[in-house]
This record gives sequence, structure tokens and C-alpha cells, in this order.
Amino acid sequence: MVEREVAQRLFAKEFNDSKFNIHPKPDEVNHDGGHAPNFIVSPLGSKINRLFAAGVVTEIDNIGTEHDLWRARVVDPSGAFIVYAGQYQPEAAIFLSTMEVPAYVSVVGKARIYEPEDGSVFVSIRPEDINVIDADIRDRWIVDAAELTLDRIDAFSMALASGLSGSELFEHLVQNNIPNGLVEGIVLALDYYHTDADYLQKLKDTVLDCVKSIGSGSGDENAVPDEDLILELMNEMDTGKGIDYAELIIIAKSRGMAENVIVAAVRKLLAKGMCYEPKIGILKVVS
Amino acid sequence: MNNKLAPHIEELTKALESISTNIDESQIQEELEKLLDFRVPLDEAKRTIIRKYKSASMPVMKIRNITAGLKGFEVTGRIIDVTEKSVNLRGKDTIIFSGTLADEDGACSFTAWSNYSLKIGDVIRIKNAYSRSWHNRSEVNFGERSHVEKLPDDVLPSIDELTKTPVKKLRDVANTDLSVSSVTVILEFSHRNINVKGEEVTIVEGVLADETAKLPFTSWVPLDGLDIGSTIRFEKASVRMFRGVPSLNLNDNTTINAVDASTEELPFTFESANMVPESVPISEIMEKDGMFDVIALGNIISIRPGSGIITRCPDCNRVIQKNTCRVHGTVEGVKDMRIKAILDDGTGAISVMLNRELSEIAYGRSMVEAENIIQKAMSQDAVFEDMRQVLTGKYLAVRGNTSSTEFGVMLVSKSAWMPDNNINERVNALMKRLGNNKEEEADNG
Ligand SMILES: [Zn+2]
Repeated sequence: MVEREVAQRLFAKEFNDSKFNIHPKPDEVNHDGGHAPNFIVSPLGSKINRLFAAGVVTEIDNIGTEHDLWRARVVDPSGAFIVYAGQYQPEAAIFLSTMEVPAYVSVVGKARIYEPEDGSVFVSIRPEDINVIDADIRDRWIVDAAELTLDRIDAFSMALASGLSGSELFEHLVQNNIPNGLVEGIVLALDYYHTDADYLQKLKDTVLDCVKSIGSGSGDENAVPDEDLILELMNEMDTGKGIDYAELIIIAKSRGMAENVIVAAVRKLLAKGMCYEPKIGILKVVS
Repeated sequence: MNNKLAPHIEELTKALESISTNIDESQIQEELEKLLDFRVPLDEAKRTIIRKYKSASMPVMKIRNITAGLKGFEVTGRIIDVTEKSVNLRGKDTIIFSGTLADEDGACSFTAWSNYSLKIGDVIRIKNAYSRSWHNRSEVNFGERSHVEKLPDDVLPSIDELTKTPVKKLRDVANTDLSVSSVTVILEFSHRNINVKGEEVTIVEGVLADETAKLPFTSWVPLDGLDIGSTIRFEKASVRMFRGVPSLNLNDNTTINAVDASTEELPFTFESANMVPESVPISEIMEKDGMFDVIALGNIISIRPGSGIITRCPDCNRVIQKNTCRVHGTVEGVKDMRIKAILDDGTGAISVMLNRELSEIAYGRSMVEAENIIQKAMSQDAVFEDMRQVLTGKYLAVRGNTSSTEFGVMLVSKSAWMPDNNINERVNALMKRLGNNKEEEADNG
């Protein structure tokens, strides 16, 4: 049976602290005959093959020379995920090349690691899917990531408290109902990073900052009232024949506005007399 | 290579071959050399390596935890029955031994591919066993590469003890139970006529529940006087597996008695048992071959090809292309809409299937609207693309039965909804875990 690699939830800080890559030997195949997957092990013991991140896109650059290679910074409250989309990720590349910043997005993709000769290590995401999301999903993602990160911190604390390592630590954690994947990750991370209580505390502080940020960030991004955004969009869309209401909703949604917010904004504009409905389903801005 | 080490590596390799099928001599050498570099005494180093492989590659399994497709595990059980069979294996007549193996809380069938002179009542420990799926259950297999050892008789209870029908909560009913007894309330109940060997038979089908789970049941005996809401005590219902989900069979061997829920103290009522279940972490769903009536909640991280508007054969419901069914030839296709998505909650990922009605709920557009999108865009893929844009990244909750397939675990949804964004409670719980609850914050100013 082919099991799909889970998309890990972790904050950019933990991801960007990761330097330990486990790549299967070229001839190594797993029981099902498929190739064993690549993993990046984080200092907290996450075994990351795939991850799901949410945040604000703050910068997009085309850094390619021969071919387009789009680089985006997707920022969460702890740092930035770097996302690269090139010719082999055509959909993500088109998405990044046409989107406006800043905007909330979700990214699901594979964890990549780049190790130039000088000993430095860079991790990034190779996207499988990027999409525009709203602030609610972003907040909820922070809660998910915080809960799962704290679970890892708790498991790691248990590992440190035991004073064990290697196979003995493995057995100890399995007996304490820590999931197998995480147990493997913790044993590997302890051996490679020598993760200590100080690092766990640092990550805990990061989680706290992230949780505290929920709801507070929306002040900046929504500084412009929704009606103004909709009005601006209607002006942009109107070629003289008016604006198709359904189309307006689709486009406003693609810019990260929730449908109920859009509908409420249009209703307010109608009430204020700033736009009118010449026939059902068509809107016109009063100029 | 360090020649002095060669005999030790050979010895280790031999010792480990008996417990794992996947031993790499050069890897053992590397590990041994590393330990010796750290000035670990040779004997201790060898013991360390053996311990490591034992724990990593030879889990000791209880029978109830054995799922199909496991390799290299250890299991101990008593032979409940065993028969010798001659099978044709790749053109060669081979003698195999099959029967039932039981431990304190489970039983399963086994096949031995070599002759270990197994007798009814023997307690055996099998090392390097593997499992496969047989009649929707897991079966323990062992052969030449396995080690079978007879253990003292008092390691496990007697055959009588082991084959006694256990009294169980529904959550604990597993594919390693041959029969169970329990007290449950009837949630669903309907009669159906079926044809058994040319004879019309009326059976009862429905759902039973207690405070831990729900399970489907089929009764081959009439359940006079019972209906939805009745509480029953049954003994010796046989357990069948269907798509990884246990189902209870009430038959001539089963004793069924109505229970007066108003006089007997029970941990559940019809109302409590009939409540919407809590959502389950996807990692837990993935551990089981199948689950009945579960809720999963996560992010849609991928909309799979095959989602969108499809055409079905009116006779057999197969998905068809260009109005041609491979069974029924040219037909007038019927349009349908569906979504196949990957739902991932950060602990695991499952495939989720939504039918037309549920697709409309999740997607937020009716099938008619979706067909208009195709007409406008003049592309069959337009709806698939639009679904990806609307749904990827969103939270979705689904409720239904799960089963394990060759493409991973699949949940066929009976209902689906966009879950409420109630994060306040979770934020408060996080703050507590972080030692930073609101009262403290207020105190600190
Ligand atoms: Zn057909």
C-alpha cells in the first residue's frame, strides 16, 4: 500500500533551523517497490518530506536566468518560508508571476535542502499547490501548527528527561505512545543537533509569540475598508457595460476576501448610493 | 576492512538474519566500527547492535494489533486448530499448515510454509513472521526465514479460556475477534428480503451503538419486539469483516435479550449513543484497516484528477468517456459531479470522496452552475480547475466510513461541511500549555 507523506505543520523558525537531510541511497527501495522518500529532520524531530504552510506573501522575484524561477517569501509570525517555483512547477510559477503582494496564501509542497560547498544550508519549499486564503484560515493554521509543535516539544522534553539515546530512547518513547515517525525523528535529531532544553524553551517562546499574534495582525492588512477595496475593484472591472456581480465575487475572492464580506460591502455601497443595479446581477458604479 | 572484525561481523549478520529480512553487512560493519571508535568494548558493542536491530525491525506484536502487510515481527500464540493442506505453488505441490492462533485478546488465522510439527495446544513464539490479508482479515504467515520456538504451556491461558467469547465494548471489536458479546442500543433497523440459494429470506440490517462506537449488524434471526431505540444484550455474535470494518452477525448461535434501560444502569442512552461523534486525528484513522462512522477534519491539500463533472453509464454507474461504456457499449451518459480530495490534518493524510450533493456543499456551486462554467470556458477541465482554486487549502470536515485501499486510506463521505472557525477555546488551551494563561497575563500587567 502506498502511504501518502503527511504534510507537516511547523513554523518557519523550526523549518529554517533544519539542516539534517536524510536521502535514501539511490538503490534503496521500500517494501512496496517505490523509492524511499527524502526527509529533512528538524531540530525538534519533525521528519519533513511534505509541509503545509500558511502566511503572507511579502515578496516575489524572478531570479531565473535562462528560465523563469520565481522566489516568494511566505511570512508567518516566526519568520519566512522561501518558496521556489520554476519550469517544473508551471502552475505555481504562473500563480506567483500574476499575484499581487501582500496576500495570504497556503502552500503545500516538498521540503528541499540546498547545501553549497561552504558548509551553509538553505531549506525551501517546492510547491505542489499554492492558493489564496483568508485571514481565518491563516489564524487556524497558526493554532494547528502551535498545537503540533508543542506536542513535539513535550515529546522531546520526555526524551531529554530520560537521559537515554539510540535504541533505548526509541523503545522508551514508543512505550510512552509517541507516534513512530516522531520517535525516529527525535532519536535522529538528538544525535545530530544535540537539541537541548534551551532550544526547546526558545521554540516555546516562538510558539507563544505566534499564538499571541492571532487576530492582531489583521489590523494592518485590512487597513483599507472592504467597501473601498470593492469599489476600486469595480472601477477596475467596468468596461462601460457594468459589472457582472458573480464575476465580482469570484475576483474579489481570488484576492483573499470572504464571500460574506464581499456581499456585505456591496450592500453597503448600494445603500450609500455609490453604486446601483441597472438590471439583476449587474452593478454599475455611480461616477 | 579490518580483518580482526570479520568473524564478529559475520556472527552479527547471522544472528540478525533470524530477526530481520533486511540486514546489510556493510552497515553492520560501519556501526560496529563506529562503536569501537568510541572505545565501547567489543562484547558490549555487539550487544548494542543486536538490541538496536531487535527494537527497530522486530516489533513484538499482540495478535489484535496485527494488520495486513507487516513484515519481520514477533508474535506469541497458542495453536487453537491446525490442518495440513497440499497446495499447488508455482506448479509444485507443497505441504502447508494452516489454522488459528490465539493470545489473550485476539485470534487470527495462520499459514506455516514449513513443517514445524505444530500440534493443537502448542504455545509458540514466531520470530520474523509476516502478515497478509486473507478473507478481509490479517493472517500471520511464517516459513523458512522465520524462527519458531515452542514455549512452556503456562505462558498463555488454556484453549477453553482463549476461545471464550469475550464481552467487549464496540470500539474494541477487531478483526481478531471470531465472536463477541456486548450490550448495545439499536440506532438503525430495517428489514430486507434477500435470495439465499433460491430461497427468499428476510434479514434485519442496522446499526448498533454503545458509548464507545457504532457498528453495522445483520441479523439472520427475526428480532421480534425490537426496534430503533431498543437496548439489547447479545452473546456470541460472530464478527465478519467488510472493507476493514467489523460487522456483527446475529444468528442461531447468538443469544439476544431485550434490556430494560429504565431499570438497568447503562453508560449510554439512545440519545448519547446517537450523538455526532468527535473528530478523530487522521493518524488514528490510518492505523486501522477500516472505521465505521468517523469524522475527520483537516485541510484540503489537493484536489485529485477525476474531480469535477463526469459522465456515468445509466445502466451500471461506471464513469464513462464519450458515451461509451466498456460493458454496455454506446449509451446516453448521465452527468454527475464529484470531488476526490486529499484531506490532511498534520498527523496524517487520507483520500476523501464526495458525491454530487456533498460536492455542491463543499464547492459552493450547484452542478448546473458547474456545467455553465464548462460551457462558458469551453473546456471540460474548467470545473476541475475552479474546484482547485475554490477548495485547495480550505478546512473541510467529513463523516463516513473508512477503508484501506492500495492507494492509502479512503473515506467515503456520508456528510461534509465547512467546519466552524472556533479557535478561541484552542487558543486558551494553548496559552495554558505555554504557562501563560489569561489571568497570569492580567497580573503581569
Ligand atoms: Zn455500463
